[in-house]
Amino acid sequence: MERMIVIMQDPDMGVKMRNQRLLITVIPHAMTGNDIVEWLIQKYTISEEESLHLGNLIVKHGYIYPLKDPRNLVLRADESPYRFQTPYFWTSTKWPATELDYAIYLAKKNIRKQGDLIDHEKDNYNLLHKRINHTWDFVVMQAREQLRAAKQRRKGDRIVIDCQEQAYWLVNRPPPGAPNVMEHGLKQRNCHTSRVQLTKNMDYYKREIEYCRKAMGRTRVKSSICLEGYVKFNEQYVPHDPIMSGCLPSNPWITDDTTYWTMNAPTVMTPTKLRVERWGFSFSELLSDALGRAQFMEFLKKEFSAENLSFWEACEELRYGEQSRIAEIMDSIYQHFLAPGATRWVNIDSKTMERTLEGLKTPHRYVMDDAQMHIYMLMKKDSYPRFLKSDLYKSLLAEAIIPPETKKRVFPFMRKQRHSSPSPALLLLPGGEPEAKAEDKSRTPVAAPVPEEES
Amino acid sequence: MVKEECKVLLDALNKVAACYRHMVLTIGGTADSQNLREELRKTRQKAQELAVANRNKLTGVLKDKTVSKEDKAEFERLWVIFSTCMEILEVDMRRALELGHEFPLNVPKKHLIQTGMSGGTSGVAARAMSVQNMKYEAEHNIDVVDLKDLEKEINQMGEMMYEMEMKVNVPHWTVEAKQDPGAELKSTVSMGASSMGMISVEENKSFCDISKVLAGVIFSAVLIIAIVLAVCVVKLS
Repeated sequence: MERMIVIMQDPDMGVKMRNQRLLITVIPHAMTGNDIVEWLIQKYTISEEESLHLGNLIVKHGYIYPLKDPRNLVLRADESPYRFQTPYFWTSTKWPATELDYAIYLAKKNIRKQGDLIDHEKDNYNLLHKRINHTWDFVVMQAREQLRAAKQRRKGDRIVIDCQEQAYWLVNRPPPGAPNVMEHGLKQRNCHTSRVQLTKNMDYYKREIEYCRKAMGRTRVKSSICLEGYVKFNEQYVPHDPIMSGCLPSNPWITDDTTYWTMNAPTVMTPTKLRVERWGFSFSELLSDALGRAQFMEFLKKEFSAENLSFWEACEELRYGEQSRIAEIMDSIYQHFLAPGATRWVNIDSKTMERTLEGLKTPHRYVMDDAQMHIYMLMKKDSYPRFLKSDLYKSLLAEAIIPPETKKRVFPFMRKQRHSSPSPALLLLPGGEPEAKAEDKSRTPVAAPVPEEES
Repeated sequence: MVKEECKVLLDALNKVAACYRHMVLTIGGTADSQNLREELRKTRQKAQELAVANRNKLTGVLKDKTVSKEDKAEFERLWVIFSTCMEILEVDMRRALELGHEFPLNVPKKHLIQTGMSGGTSGVAARAMSVQNMKYEAEHNIDVVDLKDLEKEINQMGEMMYEMEMKVNVPHWTVEAKQDPGAELKSTVSMGASSMGMISVEENKSFCDISKVLAGVIFSAVLIIAIVLAVCVVKLS
C-alpha cells in the first residue's frame, strides 16, 4: 500500500489536490473521495466496485483519513474530503502502537478537552493509569511538553497534526464495536471492556436458578475417594502395558517376531490370558473387543436377553453408518425391536419409548440415542456382572493361553530383551550383530504374511 | 539541592524528547526539508548530552548510601521517568532512521507525501535547543550523510541503556505515580521549568508582544472612534 501512496503523490500523474477551507485557515492537500476512486480506476484499469473496495482498504488501514467524519473510516465516492497520513503514522507491524503512546495521547486529549473524553476513552484512560502506573508521571510530563511544542507551529499545521493523531488512534485503538483492522488475534487485547451484557430479565434469572438447582443436585464424591478409585482403575492396566511390563512373546519392534500380533488378532481362536482379564475391567472394554463381544453374545443367548446386545449393535450401526441408509436402518430397527409384538422386542421404559417413537418421524443419526443408552446401562448393571461370575467366563479364563517368552540366546551378547531398551544403540554390539540379523531374516518370511491378513 | 537539579535536568530532557517526537512526525511529509534534517540532528545531539548528564547525576545519587528512604523513593521515581524517556527517544531515533532511508530528499523521482503541513518546524527546534532562532549551516545533502551518524548514535544509546539496566537495580513496578488520573487538568501553566526558564520567559515575552500589539491596535482604534464621535458631537451641538 505504501508504494501506491507514494505514486499518488506525483504532481503530474497523482491524485488531484485541492485546498481545505476551514473558518479562517486554508489547509492544502485535501482530496475528494471521487478523485481517489477515479485515479485508482484510471491507474490500474479496474472497475469502480473494485476501486472503491481498494480505496476502502487504504482508508481502513490508516493511510488516508477522512476530514469531515473522522470516526467513520470509509471511502465515499463523492465530494467528502480526505487527506494523506504522515509516514510516521503509517500502520506497520515493526512499530506497533504502544500503550505508553496511547496514554500520552489520551492525556493530551484530556488537557485539550478539559476532561471531556468519550466513554471508551475514559475507560481506557483509567485502565492505563492502573497498568502503567509507574510511568504515569512521565506520561503527564510528556503530554504537557508535546502540547507546548505544538504551539510553536502555525495554526493550520496544528489542526493537521491533531487530525493525523486522531486518525492514527482511531485505526489502532478503535472504539468498541468498530471493526478492528489490526486483528491482533487472541492474546493481546484486553477484552474485558467489550463484553456484551445480557439484559437481566425474568428469563435470565429463571435459567440461572434452574442451573444452580441442578448443580446442587449432582452427586458429589470426595476428591480423595474418587482419585483413589481413578488410580486403582489405572493401575489395573500396568501388567497390560507393553512398555511398562513388557509384552509376552516378545516385543515385535525389537525382536522382529510378530507372534504378539498374531496371538492378539481380533478373531483368534484362543485369546491370551491378559486379554480375557481385561474384559473384566469395564463394560466398554468388553464391548470394544470383538472376541469379547462375541462371547458376551453367547452368554446372553443362554440368558435369553440377546436382543439387548443386538439392539445396541444396530443402534451403533445407525450412528456410524452411511447417511443414505439411515431411513432403512431405522425402519429395520423399529420392525425388529420396537414395534409392539416384534420378534426381538427390547424392554425400554415407557417415557423413552414415547420419545423414540416421536423421533422416528424425523429420522437422523441420533434418534435412538436415548434408547441405546438405556439398554447399555441395563446390560452394564445387570448382565455384565453376571457374565463375569458365569461359568462361561471362568472357562475362558482357564483356557486362555499365556504365550511363552522367546528363548534366550546361547551367546550371552545376544540377549533379546523383553522390555524395550532405553536406547537402540545398546543392541548394536559389534560381535553378535551379523548372526542376529541372519536369524531374524530366516524367521521373518514366515511371520510376515500373517499380520497382513489379520489387519 | 540535588533533587531540584535532577528534576530540572529531567524536565529539560523531557522537553527535548517531545520536540524530537514532533519533528520526526514531519519526516516524509511536504514540510520536510534539509532544514528539518539538520534540526533533527542538532536536537538529537542535545538530547544525548542531556541524557548523559541525567544518567551521571542519577546514578551518583542512587549509589549514595547516605540518602534517606523517602529521598531514595523519590530518586527511584525520577529514574523510572528517565528510563522511559530514553526508551521513547530511542524508538523515535530508530523511526527517524527508517523514515530517513525511505524518503531521501534530493532524489527527484521520490515524492514527499502531501500531508497538508506547510509551515516549518523551526519554532519547535528553537524550543528544543533553547535558542531564539535556529541557524542552518549544514551542507545540502545532510539527509543522506546524517543517517550513518544516526545509526551510530542509536547503537550508542542502546548500549547506554543496557549499561543502565545492568548497573542500577531499580524495579519499575515498585514506583508509584504521584499524579492521579486527571492531574494534568489542574495546572496547565508551565510548572517546574523555572531554571531552564530562559526560553520560556522569552517565549512568553514574544507572545506577550504579539498580544500587546493587538491590544494596542484595538485600543487606538477605539480611541480614534471616540475622538471622532466627540468631535462630531461638538460640531453638531
